[in-house]
Amino acid sequence: MILVVGGAFQGKYKFANEKLNIRDGWADGDDCQFSDICRCRAIQHFHRYVKRAMESHYDLTGLAAKLREKNPDITILTNELGSGVVPADQFDRMYRDELGRVCEELAAEADEVYRVICGIGMIIKKKAAD
Amino acid sequence: MIHLITGGVGSGKSGYAEQQIVELGDGERIYLATMAAKDDESRMRIEKHRERRRGLNFTTIEKPTRLGEVEVPAGSNVLLECVSNLLANEMFMPGQSGIHSVNAVIDGIEHLDRQCANLVIVTNEVFSDGVQYGNMTHIYMEFLGLINQHLGRMSDLVTEVVYGIPVPVKRPGHPEVSL
Repeated sequence: MILVVGGAFQGKYKFANEKLNIRDGWADGDDCQFSDICRCRAIQHFHRYVKRAMESHYDLTGLAAKLREKNPDITILTNELGSGVVPADQFDRMYRDELGRVCEELAAEADEVYRVICGIGMIIKKKAAD
Repeated sequence: MIHLITGGVGSGKSGYAEQQIVELGDGERIYLATMAAKDDESRMRIEKHRERRRGLNFTTIEKPTRLGEVEVPAGSNVLLECVSNLLANEMFMPGQSGIHSVNAVIDGIEHLDRQCANLVIVTNEVFSDGVQYGNMTHIYMEFLGLINQHLGRMSDLVTEVVYGIPVPVKRPGHPEVSL
């Protein structure tokens, strides 16, 4: 599993295309179901999937463990969004917390984690080969 | 040589950027200021930055838009501060570049780069608060992200400053994806 994080508009998708060489097999957090995430090669806008899942009261507990079982080679692109003022809206606060929690699980699960800034990816975690 | 410096507000990126110019040595130092002195708050910010540069021998050029019109001395070391302000001016000041602001900013910076010896560029991280802004702010963020990506590609060095600590993002001789 590979996790690619970064602020909005930093070029995460381009980075995954060009540097991780993922040209096809993309799901999009804007419209995909969990079953799509289980069989895609990679997903972009993962944060929007989390938001939609929460809006329909879908339980995201154990998501990282489920993916390890069903799609261990997935690459996940997500915005980092924890660096703002506490939102006034309760749902926005819960969304921010929940995305952080899910991404923490994914990062723990991932073999590699990249952080993209100004289009440049820095590897911030690499699991030692077994 | 181009050095792109990014970081949040109050990260210490301006001080770090000035230090980078000073370390380049005795070449003529140009400070290209993009903030328009339109009210008391901007005047105060400008004064704060001026105070810090005092004694560092910078010649200041104030140019809130259209960097394509700026002439700097050949071989000079230029500090451009900052891209986020420049973009806001191009986008929102009447009669400026509007929807064509991405190209206007990039072309202006390339125009500077052709004239000077070294260019240090300060930009801004505004991308990680997760807030859904209104249309124009969303477009502004997208434009700044596109510009930052382009500048990241054309720069020799990229640094993110965190509370005064420079975190190297891109360095010559190192692969872009590095641990």
